Amino acid sequence: MLSRKLSIAVGVIAGTALFGFLVFLPVILQGQQYDLLIKNGHVIDPKNNIDTIKDVAVGNGKIVKLDNDIPASQSKKTIDATGLYVVPGLIDIHTHVFVGSKADKFADGIYSVSPDDFSFKSGVTTVVDAGTSGWRNFPLFKEQVIDKSQTRVLAFLNIAGSGMSGKPMQEDVNDMNADSAAFVAEKYNDIIVGIKIGHYEGPDRAPFNKALDAGKKLNRPLFVECHLPQYSLEDQLQMMRPGDIITHSYEQVSERMPVVDEQGKVRPFVLMAQKKGVLFDVGHGGAGFWFSQAVPAFQQGLAPNSFGSDLHRFSMNAGMKSMLNIMSKYMAIGMSMEDVVTRATWNPARSIKREDLGNLSEGAVADIAVLSVQKGKFGFIDAGGNKLEGNKKLEAELTVRAGKIVWDLNGLAAQPWK
Amino acid sequence: MIDPKNKIDEQMDVAITNGKIFQVAKNISPHQAKKLIDVTGLYVTPGIIDMHVHAFNGTDVDAYIANGLTSLPPDAFTFRAGVTTVVDAGSSGWRNFRLFKKQTIDRSQTRVLALLNIVGNGMVGRYEEQDTTDMNPQQVAYMIKRLFPDIIVGIKAAHYWGDFTQVDRAVQAGNLANVPVMVDFGEHQPPNSIEALFMQHLRPGDIFTHTFSYGPTVRETVVDDSGKVKPFVFQAQKRGIIFDVGHGGGAFSWRQAVPAMQQGFQPNVISTDLHAESMNSGMKDMTNVMSKFLNMGMTLQDVILRSTWNPANVIKRADLGNLSVGSEADIAVFNLRKGDFGFLDVRKTKLKGIQKLEAELTLRAGKIVWDLNGISAPLWEEELQKK
Repeated sequence: MLSRKLSIAVGVIAGTALFGFLVFLPVILQGQQYDLLIKNGHVIDPKNNIDTIKDVAVGNGKIVKLDNDIPASQSKKTIDATGLYVVPGLIDIHTHVFVGSKADKFADGIYSVSPDDFSFKSGVTTVVDAGTSGWRNFPLFKEQVIDKSQTRVLAFLNIAGSGMSGKPMQEDVNDMNADSAAFVAEKYNDIIVGIKIGHYEGPDRAPFNKALDAGKKLNRPLFVECHLPQYSLEDQLQMMRPGDIITHSYEQVSERMPVVDEQGKVRPFVLMAQKKGVLFDVGHGGAGFWFSQAVPAFQQGLAPNSFGSDLHRFSMNAGMKSMLNIMSKYMAIGMSMEDVVTRATWNPARSIKREDLGNLSEGAVADIAVLSVQKGKFGFIDAGGNKLEGNKKLEAELTVRAGKIVWDLNGLAAQPWK
Repeated sequence: MIDPKNKIDEQMDVAITNGKIFQVAKNISPHQAKKLIDVTGLYVTPGIIDMHVHAFNGTDVDAYIANGLTSLPPDAFTFRAGVTTVVDAGSSGWRNFRLFKKQTIDRSQTRVLALLNIVGNGMVGRYEEQDTTDMNPQQVAYMIKRLFPDIIVGIKAAHYWGDFTQVDRAVQAGNLANVPVMVDFGEHQPPNSIEALFMQHLRPGDIFTHTFSYGPTVRETVVDDSGKVKPFVFQAQKRGIIFDVGHGGGAFSWRQAVPAMQQGFQPNVISTDLHAESMNSGMKDMTNVMSKFLNMGMTLQDVILRSTWNPANVIKRADLGNLSVGSEADIAVFNLRKGDFGFLDVRKTKLKGIQKLEAELTLRAGKIVWDLNGISAPLWEEELQKK
């Protein structure tokens, strides 16, 4: 912006006096109109149906232009992304980042993790916290983590007033209040994208109904994180509205019926729910992703809509590792690169009704991931400790958040030291 | 296997029982083990020791490193980089060490050791760190010798704007507790003499960190303006001063490190200075810092020595950093990737390289705590068929 204004100002001066001498100045200053130019990368921007080699110009923290050949001379900084993929900054819609110092707790505790510790190194620029906080402690979460993070942190608000504060608090039906949740969600509507229900072990339907009620009041999606052992899977899916999100989709644990039956078939009512518009999130976590579920489900058409990692202390060093690792798993399962990128960017953006994110439209915030595809012999582990082999693996070369380089694995943006 | 303490640098099998190294030999029969991992083509080393981190992570949004957001929870960074032991470099002092222990040390899978700050409040903030009335050698020594001799392995002096007072107090405490002192010696205008620091104030075995930093207005450099390592630096190392990398967000410049390496000045210890401002910058993680030295020409054996057995000795913990029979089974397995890589220093300038270490598998006390590509895991279809 500054340089463009300058060039106009200088242009006016040039037009009125000293014409012959100064006429080249606007051209030089024009050359500074972009802050960052990512050249020659393979752009995949599912929202805009772009899947080809293009240059991406960034200015003032926003996407300014996508074009076939933008001259490097027009940018203050140019990065050569030949051989790399340039995609919207990745969105992880299932994390637990209300980190604090309480032992044995997710809410304000050490079971949650800091978003910046994990996001940028795997190309993620937006995380959505999956109900670690409720209406009582969301303000603390905001002050302690959200406001202090470089990563964009959004949140599903737990219907339980104190979020994931452990038993007995999170099981207290009386502390689940649709009005209070809706009030706080409205107050922070630039951060809170929906309501979460999960971690309730009783048979009472009230918690689910209250969460739905809050979701309806807000016209926002419900994020269903299972851990609802006395609700059947069929009932959960039936109660969900189109656009509501179920996570841990491919888990195989005793507390919830798996989506794939003993014969290896996806249950018909699950496919009907998908048809109705229920969205299936991976929610890998420490126990939420099993190849014995995910592979047959994928083969039978139940691909995930998003790759929520369920990042927390117990998944970070296990089979999950990072959202890029989950994306690589799906490439090994057989999903195309384009489909993988869609499910890591535009799909989650739409599912949380944040269509300003997950795309590279002109004017959008410049959240960008530059990815490389490593070729070789790789292995991927599921929650059961079992392995799937693959020959490709995604790596985040460069991550840009609001136009600023926040991760540069191999010094793509750097000059040689001499 | 590379095990510098035991002078092993060849293909070897290693057997583990009850969390300890049971046997290291050429051909151990697979039938004797409940679980077998094939690491053909990979390097097996002692679990890496990162001697300089800030791990006193907490929720005091006004604090700097002590109980603040600039410190990081160790488990999020260690195992994925082959690290099994970290040494917190003075984030806490005697006043808040107990909180650090309760909140982080006791709750981490990583072995967390600590250097106690000579300042009672540790690294709460820059101004508090100037308070000489809060630098109490006797109290520091009690904390180490009487209360936590198994966790506190030394003393830290850092971020002090004055003369040698802070260092001298730290050394005094070091004498009382019989432990080494690590000094972050900068932020003086004009800079204090590092020759005086090495030759008059520190003892053999004391540690100079941020060795390759370049900020000449506030910190004297080891390499002079003409690119020569200052002669007294070699003499200091000969005298027994330990030179630690302590990369961090502002303390590693190619213009210092590259000429130093070329002139034969190698750091004794490779470490990260892990904190929130270094984790996503040029530092990244321990394998990245180790890889930088590989690409500057240090041999892999020397890199491993300086990140295992050397730091173990510096902190007087000869039980760590080796694969001797009977020692705790902290083990790292590395893949040495070949390709075109780049490495950033703190000024965001780049050194190109052709090799990069990657942690394939990490064991802490015999337990697998990181497995990048599932080399310890069975194939899922085979497991399904068994059912």
